Amino acid sequence: MGRIVVITSGKGGVGKTTTTANLGMALTRLGRTVALMDADFGLRNLDLLLGLENRVVYTALEVLAGDCRLEQALVRDKRQPGLALLPAAQNRNKDAITPEQMQQLANLLAEKFDYVLIDCPAGIESGFKNAIAPAQEALLVTTPEIAAVRDADRVVGLLEAHGIRKISLIVNRIRPQMVQANNMMSVSDVQEILAIPLAGLVPDDERVIISTNRGEPLVLEANLSLPGIAFQNIARRLEGEKVPLLDLDAPYNTLMGRLRRFFSR
Amino acid sequence: MTCPLVQPGTLGLEVTLPPEWDWTHLQDVLQQYFQLTESWWSPASPVRLIAGARVLSTEQLAWLAELLQKHDLVLANVQTEVRATAVAAAMAGYSVAQGELPTQAEPLGAPALYLNHAVRSGVEVRHPGTVVVMGDVNPGGCIVADGDIVVWGRLRGVAHAGAGGNSQRLIMALEMAATQLRIGRLVARTPANVAFYPEVACVQGDAIVLHPARDFGRTTPGGVS
Repeated sequence: MGRIVVITSGKGGVGKTTTTANLGMALTRLGRTVALMDADFGLRNLDLLLGLENRVVYTALEVLAGDCRLEQALVRDKRQPGLALLPAAQNRNKDAITPEQMQQLANLLAEKFDYVLIDCPAGIESGFKNAIAPAQEALLVTTPEIAAVRDADRVVGLLEAHGIRKISLIVNRIRPQMVQANNMMSVSDVQEILAIPLAGLVPDDERVIISTNRGEPLVLEANLSLPGIAFQNIARRLEGEKVPLLDLDAPYNTLMGRLRRFFSR
Repeated sequence: MTCPLVQPGTLGLEVTLPPEWDWTHLQDVLQQYFQLTESWWSPASPVRLIAGARVLSTEQLAWLAELLQKHDLVLANVQTEVRATAVAAAMAGYSVAQGELPTQAEPLGAPALYLNHAVRSGVEVRHPGTVVVMGDVNPGGCIVADGDIVVWGRLRGVAHAGAGGNSQRLIMALEMAATQLRIGRLVARTPANVAFYPEVACVQGDAIVLHPARDFGRTTPGGVS
């Protein structure tokens, strides 16, 4: 049986789908087979980020209705044969599926793949409940903002209430320069509140936006960018490797910078 | 204010289900409550459900029974004013008390509630006695206790001690950075600069005052009178 991991956040727009797409690709590059499940019924995006939009024929709903087999609905990625996407329906809403059905689909996928990554919708309503129902562990994505952290904290409570104890944290969109200038929460500020182990840090970068618009996940580039390395490292940590955290402060932590900060205090 | 959560009752525990609460919300609250408060009751304690005017379906009763069972509790008795609920409960084999609940005397000194978890955003803990949290109370979390509140960690959420109106109660925290402190009927905010030592909040005159914890026992032995 493969591992079933839900990628969730509470707040919208913090990078759940981007993380799912990149982690899926990164894990296949490490030689694993990965199924990505889009749980965002009615607002599906994962196919866009993977550049697989025009190859979606069936969705999870047709599988459940018995209109097609699971194999037929799975969209295999041409660039990474180990990766498959189970698309959500776009013309329905969150109530089109029940937690039991999500469980059923995830279990079927876990029999065939090493990992099942579930892309959770924002919010804590039925879509969220569907997405976490089959999960054994969770990756919590947040940005260093108080609103995102507050929502993430609520989600940790809900995950724990649901019996998911293995939760790790991804802090996305860090801007080291702003952290250095005390204008942004630092990773330790975030961790102090959430108190869950860190799976990785991802810096804020324009290339993330470019890659999502092109439908080419960052980890596919030949020369990995910093956020690409960050996602690759998270995948390696999921695999149990010990990888040191990226030192995002390095370019800003010069002697002059430190002196300037010291005097501006 | 209705208290939906668990209270020690005459025959074991009492779980009140306020009729005006939405079922899914109630499910969330109960699930979280039980997850956070394992083991302050003795194993296999009988539980009385107080449904009042709330209509409970057979499925909902089964869900509640399963939840209670998971936490080593046994659903024994259902109190209801609704015939349909009484029938559903009787069919499932629970003893049924129909009609208004006889008013009971306030449970005197409910046992202290120990929480070994952090109290996270969105969680509201209510208890008719003293609450001890071994962990942080995060922003967005809330503790309402009829007794004292002791936080062995950072208090950053809302704490209401003496919620029954008793202003003699105390709030203690290793780091007092609460969003809001309430004791009895008084409300206060904590200062913007949080002290780096443990503090005790108590009522003096008609205001909530913070004292450094290390002096509190000396200057006011036995707490404020």
